[in-house]
Amino acid sequence: MKCESCNKKHATVHLTEIVGTVKKERHLCEECAQSINTHLTKIPSPTEILTSLINQVAPEINEMSKIVCPVCGLSYLEFRSHGRLGCAMDYTIFRKGLIPLLEKMHSSTQHIGKVPSRAGKELIKKNELMQLRNELNKAVEKEDYERAAELRDKIYEFSGENDED
Amino acid sequence: MKISDLTDNTGEWLRGTGPQSDIVISSRIRLARNVARFPFLSMANVKQKKELEETIRDKIKDADISQDLCYLNLADITPVDRLFLVERHLISRDHAGGEGERGVAFGKSETVSLMVNEEDHLRIQVIRSGFELKEAWKTIDEIDNKLEKRLNYAYSSRFGYLTACPTNVGTGMRASVMLHLPALGMTHHIEKVFNAVMKLGLVVRGLYGEGTQVSGDLYQISNQFTLGKSETEIIEIIESVIPRITSYERMARKSLISESREQLEDRVWRSYGMLKVARLISSEEIMHLLSQVRMGVNLGIINDIEMKTLNELFILTLPGHLQKLEGRELNSTQRNIIRASYVRKRLEK
Ligand SMILES: [Zn+2]
Ligand SMILES: [Zn+2]
Repeated sequence: MKCESCNKKHATVHLTEIVGTVKKERHLCEECAQSINTHLTKIPSPTEILTSLINQVAPEINEMSKIVCPVCGLSYLEFRSHGRLGCAMDYTIFRKGLIPLLEKMHSSTQHIGKVPSRAGKELIKKNELMQLRNELNKAVEKEDYERAAELRDKIYEFSGENDED
Repeated sequence: MKISDLTDNTGEWLRGTGPQSDIVISSRIRLARNVARFPFLSMANVKQKKELEETIRDKIKDADISQDLCYLNLADITPVDRLFLVERHLISRDHAGGEGERGVAFGKSETVSLMVNEEDHLRIQVIRSGFELKEAWKTIDEIDNKLEKRLNYAYSSRFGYLTACPTNVGTGMRASVMLHLPALGMTHHIEKVFNAVMKLGLVVRGLYGEGTQVSGDLYQISNQFTLGKSETEIIEIIESVIPRITSYERMARKSLISESREQLEDRVWRSYGMLKVARLISSEEIMHLLSQVRMGVNLGIINDIEMKTLNELFILTLPGHLQKLEGRELNSTQRNIIRASYVRKRLEK
């Protein structure tokens, strides 16, 4: 196979580029590959995606721009430009800016996964309950009524013990 | 255990066994965790980083995760050694290129690795050969339970496990499956796979993850969202899509055989021949050749080479490995010579 760039040398470099959803193959000689390498469209890094997302959704720049975390010293503006938070407290301090961002990123703003055992039994139960409700919704969506009934019973049982709704 | 003890073999996850291992090379899960009373790393000072590194290292040892766990401080080892660990998938590129007090713990089988002071205070990783995400989750969940008894994780009931980057918050979990999809690439059907996968909120990446070039027809499929779904749900979503992709790849292989058997066989045998005789092979070229031969073995076109050997060659011929093998730094031409001679040696019997 000839190099598709200079059409002279033998192609020894086979690159696969992905631009959006399109995959493109390139067959090049070593030299042409070297010179072209810097121009190749890279898959955007998560940080690039993140900062562009932040810029799209993060609201009330004026209001938020003055906020600085009293614990770690990170400002909201620094977070906006780097996409990294400075401490666990930032999730509370920058909450207003984070909620729309999380919604956009994860289509949710509520954790329903694992709970560390230190966080207490109550929380573990609350999360299990949320997971059951989630499953129930899915079962209803799929019209799997048998499974839905089963889940409903479980939820009642749970709520009873828990003295919740 | 020293790094040089690792050079002669590779991790268990490359042995080419496990469900669907003709197409699914490996299944991997990682969890991101932070310790509550410390700032995240970007805002931590040198003293805090050191304290974190010492605390987490001790707790990992104390947790009795596996008997042969060894711990390396990355500041103490050479750049070539760090590159070697990246190629082994034991640490990330960012971890290798980072600075300050940071380390990694891993077992001899290289199934489990724990990165200390990467982007988050702790990143736990489990890799298994073949399509075994559920088993990987079981293992990593147990390790996490052991550590959580000893470390007070940053956690909120609303947002779950709190991470330095909001893309990881919630479960802190990234589950990924590495697939070998040469026929879908050759028949230009790979875009359809990407579309289907992205509709489910999953992402496709190259061999070394984030932002890396796809090569050797190896793709990693992993979850993008980490919040609002449980770990099991996330795994189920990935598990539901993988069999569709593997059967699609098998169909593409079948149609290649029935429509252009000679061309396919020619491609495979030429690639095999090239590996056996070439005197200079670049790292891009070898990925391409190995990919063709791997498919040839799966299709029964080539019978005299083991899957394990091929899987290993994808890793053993990488720049860091070749330099470890030779025990010195090599420029790219030197590497191309050594790569070719190493492969020739491995393939001759
Ligand atoms: Zn050229
Ligand atoms: Zn803070």
